Amino acid sequence: MSGARPRTLARRAAAAAPRLPLERLAWAAACLALALVALAATLPGWILITIAAAAAIRLGAAARGGDAPPAAPRAIVAVFAIGALLVQFHTVNGLAAGTALLALTGGLKLLETRTRRDLYVIILIVYFLCLAALLAGESFWLLAYLLGVCWLTTAAALHLAALPGGPAARASLRYAARAIGYAAPIALALWLFFPRFAGPLWRLGGEARGASSGLGDTLSPGDIDDLAMSDDIAFRVRFLGAAPPRRDLYWRGPVLDDFDGRTWRRDDRSAMAAPPALAGGATYRYRVSLEPYPHRWIYALDWPLKSTLAGAFLSGDDVLMRRLPMTGPVDVVASSRMPLLAQPILGAGARRRDSALPAGSNPRTRNLAEALRRAHPADLSLIEAVLAMFHREAFFYTLTPPPLGRNSIDEFLFDTKRGFCGHYASAFAVLMRAAGIPARVVTGYLDGTFNPYADYWIVRQSDAHAWDEVWIDGRGWLRVDPTAAIAPQRIDPGLREGSLAGGSLALALRRDAPWFADLTLRIDALRLLWRERVLRYDRGAQFALLARLRIGAPDSQKLLFALAAAMALCFAWLSWQLRRALAPRRRRDALTRNFEILAAKLAAVGLVRRPPEGAEAYAERVAAARPDLAATVTRLCRQYSALRYGRERERAAAARGLAGFREAVRAFRPKKSRGS
Amino acid sequence: MSRYRHWPIAALRSWSARRHGRDLLPLIVDRRRIYILPSGAGLAFAALVAVMSIAALNYASNLGLAFAFLLAGIGLVGMHHCHRNLLGLHVDADAEADGFAGAPLYRRCTLANESALDRHDIEIRCAAAGATISLPAGAARALQLPLTESRRGIRHYRHFELRTRFPFGWFRAWTYVQAPLTAYVAPRPVGSRRPPAAAAARSMAEAANRDLAGDADFAGLRPYAPGMALKHMAWKVLARGGEAAVQSYAGAAGEPQWLDWDCLGGLPAEERLSQLCLWVVDSDAQRRPYGLRLPGREIAPAAGALHRRACLRALAAFEDGAERGISRRPS
Repeated sequence: MSGARPRTLARRAAAAAPRLPLERLAWAAACLALALVALAATLPGWILITIAAAAAIRLGAAARGGDAPPAAPRAIVAVFAIGALLVQFHTVNGLAAGTALLALTGGLKLLETRTRRDLYVIILIVYFLCLAALLAGESFWLLAYLLGVCWLTTAAALHLAALPGGPAARASLRYAARAIGYAAPIALALWLFFPRFAGPLWRLGGEARGASSGLGDTLSPGDIDDLAMSDDIAFRVRFLGAAPPRRDLYWRGPVLDDFDGRTWRRDDRSAMAAPPALAGGATYRYRVSLEPYPHRWIYALDWPLKSTLAGAFLSGDDVLMRRLPMTGPVDVVASSRMPLLAQPILGAGARRRDSALPAGSNPRTRNLAEALRRAHPADLSLIEAVLAMFHREAFFYTLTPPPLGRNSIDEFLFDTKRGFCGHYASAFAVLMRAAGIPARVVTGYLDGTFNPYADYWIVRQSDAHAWDEVWIDGRGWLRVDPTAAIAPQRIDPGLREGSLAGGSLALALRRDAPWFADLTLRIDALRLLWRERVLRYDRGAQFALLARLRIGAPDSQKLLFALAAAMALCFAWLSWQLRRALAPRRRRDALTRNFEILAAKLAAVGLVRRPPEGAEAYAERVAAARPDLAATVTRLCRQYSALRYGRERERAAAARGLAGFREAVRAFRPKKSRGS
Repeated sequence: MSRYRHWPIAALRSWSARRHGRDLLPLIVDRRRIYILPSGAGLAFAALVAVMSIAALNYASNLGLAFAFLLAGIGLVGMHHCHRNLLGLHVDADAEADGFAGAPLYRRCTLANESALDRHDIEIRCAAAGATISLPAGAARALQLPLTESRRGIRHYRHFELRTRFPFGWFRAWTYVQAPLTAYVAPRPVGSRRPPAAAAARSMAEAANRDLAGDADFAGLRPYAPGMALKHMAWKVLARGGEAAVQSYAGAAGEPQWLDWDCLGGLPAEERLSQLCLWVVDSDAQRRPYGLRLPGREIAPAAGALHRRACLRALAAFEDGAERGISRRPS
């Protein structure tokens, strides 16, 4: 019985509590809605609809002066919603499912909101939803938007905490903005110096985030043509040290060995670790910032040597590989060497694979290859002859080649003679194999756009390229780019200018308006800086920062010390701001200032001057309270009065009198009375 | 408010009382006397920020971490602002208050904000009475704290409190002002509205006469005492250089009336006191001079606010042997 009583009392109190006004509910609902906007793309539609319906019902009830709907229907809705969530995600673990659950909880909480405490809970949920959106995204604009949501939510918290008649909505917004302004240095100090982990504490189910299109692991006629229309950025590269000449910027992607007469495919057996390369020429180090794509290879400068990425290795065909497909943007520091010399001998299996052609396909090409072989017994002169043929004959480089049939190489070489880099690389490799030279197709990217504003290269999907590698005994794999052999006058004029006639608006603008190209580069430079400096700010960058602050041998402990120092600075700044605001600077003369010092000293021992109190009255009161101070204070107050209100003659000596008064005030040190 | 009765708070309060001693008013709230603790909502917020930071660290999400740290910063700024909301406040309050049992008894408190900052939602609380105000920069406000006492007597309040949860409700800061209040709670003024029995018959006849003859037969001058109505001041006498005097009227303020404990024989002590109290109030309202006789105490006849207060305080303080045995009925 005794246990039940407080509960009934509490229930009665809750019933007696005034209903939440519509305005406060609307604040909370608006914050929730704005946070959900950032997550709208990742949440299932029915969750958004459920939340919107819950908000509409609750706000509608509040507008009519009603309260939350009764508990039974709310419980039924909650059970159904959570059930649907489990059916859809099979778990509540993981970022997507957790976010959905949190969003749903926020909506249902809004439905049952009765008290101010419920609104506080919604505000906490909104904060967490903002974080969930940030965990899934990396854009600057997302952060800016969510900071805006944070501002509004903080203002809502302020507004909810205020009693009726407290600050109005506008004042709340202004106050929240100021609070965020004060919080920014603290947040910056924490962000800079809070030690980062080397790896995750736990892993939740990783989902590929926004994998964009790009090169695949097959190459058919027409594949790269589509990519060439795409303005998307594949990756950015910043050279750490010297950069190679521009004509050598071949970004190596998947190597294709298997040919079925029409399509080239990657051979998975080649994806085994390569034996270490023996010697080479110039070495280049660089950082590749890759946009996500659902494959394991990493684009690197031809030919890659090694990388800093954990779990990455160099495959048998010299491609940098990861163990698992990419799930998000990745940054890799790699090094490459060119040309790569003195390679090991080509194994029999690999030689067989890289010389194989499907039986009976492309007979005309085989005949041509045999004829060329007879005329040029040396491998290198045979290659020269084929390249000369591409240059001499009426081969056109175009994005709109005619469609090809079953014997695609035959048709291309002898009939249409129009194609894109994929056609030429494919035809060249088939010719080589037919002539008995091991050959393979390499796909990747060629060249890029140099951004002088931050000294890096932008490689777009439109830079996708395909070239060949042929095996020359005694020299190893040799890169041959048959597309480069085409006579310049036979290159599609739009392509020659590095862009396309039929491309997107951005492409057209970049081509036609130099200022736009310039602006794009500037913005992209910011984007890379954002990625390098902010998104990839890690333990190494923290240690580098400590080193720049001249703190030797950086470690986590020193980071914490630096954090403590930075926080102390922030608090000192806050306190200084506070002190300035608490004691407004007024223009006073020296006499008043000294009298105020006297009053402050007396206030410190508990004898505060009442605002309208005159000097003499104050002295009397002090004398009554503290007989030990009476003589000094009375004398000082008389002196003040004389200086302030005295006659001409007395004030004539004021300069001297003031100095004496000041000395006396300085020397006055009242002791705190004990046990008064 | 039951939260404030928990023993840690009580212990803190008595420790604070020992530490600061009695405060002289007015005082300026300094940082040594401000206490601050996170509220329930604040603890929930701190837990949220911690979980957010760990999640962001785990996902190596620098943006998430920045967001979580910004919230942490907002929390710390909130703490600072909560503390600052009380810091430097000028506080003054009355040391005495008068009232009747069962009716509000007002304690006047003055808060002044001399700084260039607005202060919001400051709650001032003395026992169960509380009021909340906001003070713009440079403003001063006086408030009347309605203390309610159900029983007659003299009450002592040792301290009052200033509290705030501004700005976000994540922290509560408070300070104790060890400035005692003596509250004189006069008895509930109830009983018969008829004048004291001894004079009842005569006064009824006089009242009839007064009604016929009209108001106010001039009856002479009496020396002025503070609290007497200025309306009846003999200004001409004063102007001639004479003593301050008031005109005395036979009808309204004829001969002084004695409000006597002994003429209420037969009633219990508290009811006698209530009746006396009602008579004091009524007599004062009718501007009649009156005197009060209690066992062991006599207040000479006079009129005016000071006299009224003296009489009511005597009634509040009254305590005799017979009265002690009476059980006071709580209401």
